[in-house]
Amino acid sequence: MGGACSRKRDQQVDEDNIHRGFSGRYCKSGSSKWLGSSFSRSLSDVKQGIGKSPSLMELCTYKICEAIHNYGSFSMLPRDVSQQIFDELVYSQRLNDVILQAFRDCALQDLNLGEYPGFNDSWMDMIASQGSSLLSVDFSGSDVTDAGLSHLKDCTGLQALNFNYCDKISDNGMAHISGLSNMTTLSFRRNNMITAQGMSALSGLVNLVKLDLERCPKIHGGLVHLKGLTKLESLNINCCNCITDTDMKPLQGLANLKALQISSSKVTDHGVNFLKALHKLELLNMEGCPVTAACLESLSALGALLYLNLSRCNLADDGCDKFSRLQALKVLNLGFNEISDAILVYLKGLTNLESLNLDSCSIRDEGLVNLAGLSRLKCLELSDTEVGSSGLRHLSGLGNLESLNLSFTVVTDGGLRKLSGLSCLRSLNLDVRQITDTGLAALTSLTGLTHLDLFGARITDSGTNYLKCFRNLRSLEICGGGLTDAGVKNIKDLTSLALLNLSQNSHLTDKSLEAISGLTQLVSLNVSNSRVTSAGLQHLKPLKNLKSLTLESCKVTANDLKKLQATHLPNLVNFRPE
Amino acid sequence: MKKEDMVKLISADGFEFVIDEKAAMVSQTIRNMLTSPGSFTETQQRQVTFPDISTTILEKICQYFYWSLQYASGKETEFHIEPELTLELMMAANYLHT
Repeated sequence: MGGACSRKRDQQVDEDNIHRGFSGRYCKSGSSKWLGSSFSRSLSDVKQGIGKSPSLMELCTYKICEAIHNYGSFSMLPRDVSQQIFDELVYSQRLNDVILQAFRDCALQDLNLGEYPGFNDSWMDMIASQGSSLLSVDFSGSDVTDAGLSHLKDCTGLQALNFNYCDKISDNGMAHISGLSNMTTLSFRRNNMITAQGMSALSGLVNLVKLDLERCPKIHGGLVHLKGLTKLESLNINCCNCITDTDMKPLQGLANLKALQISSSKVTDHGVNFLKALHKLELLNMEGCPVTAACLESLSALGALLYLNLSRCNLADDGCDKFSRLQALKVLNLGFNEISDAILVYLKGLTNLESLNLDSCSIRDEGLVNLAGLSRLKCLELSDTEVGSSGLRHLSGLGNLESLNLSFTVVTDGGLRKLSGLSCLRSLNLDVRQITDTGLAALTSLTGLTHLDLFGARITDSGTNYLKCFRNLRSLEICGGGLTDAGVKNIKDLTSLALLNLSQNSHLTDKSLEAISGLTQLVSLNVSNSRVTSAGLQHLKPLKNLKSLTLESCKVTANDLKKLQATHLPNLVNFRPE
Repeated sequence: MKKEDMVKLISADGFEFVIDEKAAMVSQTIRNMLTSPGSFTETQQRQVTFPDISTTILEKICQYFYWSLQYASGKETEFHIEPELTLELMMAANYLHT
């Protein structure tokens, strides 16, 4: 019984946030920004809540994992049963080199061991024992060497392989995978050893669909080996600063390429010229490349282009008229270029645009009139521009707008009522010093807001009364210094809040902590530079979901926080002072 | 309880368990057997035979069905599993999509 009814395989994970151009998966950096990604399970456990019982499969799996040392081998089990036990052991980090032996010859399909502590060459033998059943392996961030990689030679069924951040694998190791022609997905980010010579192994992987070589500094000249990989749809060579125009030439025949990421490379307008024939290209990320508006000549041949990132390039107004040819564009990022609002007239006809980023460009009010007709716009980034209140009237008709960033602009309270009709708005950044309570009062109709950033705005206690209208808020930042405990009381009913930043309000005391003690959804809390003391910490005990707590420059010691973490807040992973 | 609301589950060694249909439906496999269109004997006779599941295991599975219903209605107790049964129970659970 059992063996025949194999379940659908889990979708391979590594679907990173391609449109933003970075990955949150690698966690050695320890940045608190990625708190969410590394602790996803405890959250989903909470979410599951009442109503759905754990399956009998799950209960048995937990039971077996608890007493794992009683089991010598799982090779007699149906594959999906042993796979489930294996996955749970990995998840609960109970797997070690001894327990691993029980999984020899289990015909497992997926071994997701990315970032797994202790994984090294000695584990590769067990991995290879899964033989042709093996479909995907991830041992990113491990100490596996060329010799370890050689074990995979006979795993001919392998479709996905990830050895990101494995800095001991070199050209010699690459030779071992050259025969794995069923491979569709290969990723080896941030490898400092692999050169063009090692890349020659890729020419045998004729079924490759997705290749990720982000941050490999020595692969210059190696892309020539991709020439025959005509099934390739996605190539990521972001942050490979060795990549030059000549590396673009071998890509011109990859007619199925849909996504190409070459940010922070040395590619110029000349290199972009080689991309003209990529008629299926939907995504092109050239952030930080030394290209100018002249490259638009080549890009206008790409009729399928939906996502274009040209931020931090060498664009100037001159030549930007060719933007008008990119009719299919949905997402355009032009941030941090020396361009002015004179070019917006060329975007006027791009009616498919859903997201436009003009961060830190010389955009003034008059130019915004050209955006008024872009009715599909959902996301508009105007941070650090010269946009002021009179420009906002051009935005008042953008009824689909969900996210608007006006931080560090010159908008004032008087202009904000122009935004009051944007009923789809979910995220609003008004980190603007001259915004006050009066401005906030004009926004109370935006009841759908989930993210409101008033970091530097001069909000006082009386302004916090308006916050009661934003019952869906999941993140709120008010750090202008004007709040006292009385104002924080108006925040206590915003029970959806997961992130709350009230730092720099130097009058806040322990009473503020008491006021927010009912915000049990909070994941991140910052009340730095206040009069909070260690005595106030008791009010935080109910905040069981808290992962990050920052109380710098308060009367709170690292020891106080450690004690709080140990006794009441087990999910807390980041705290300051530490 | 009307007879139509009950189903009979029969173990490999012929032991019969008569349980609420609602409980049996916790298993996706049994649900499919009992509700599939056409005239499968299972659908008509409201009984399912499991030639690969022993009486001990099938009894445990029936206990789980009722436990699961209780759990869903808010009574979150622990479901005890004897260590020596775990592997066999898990294989049966896998077959029953439970």
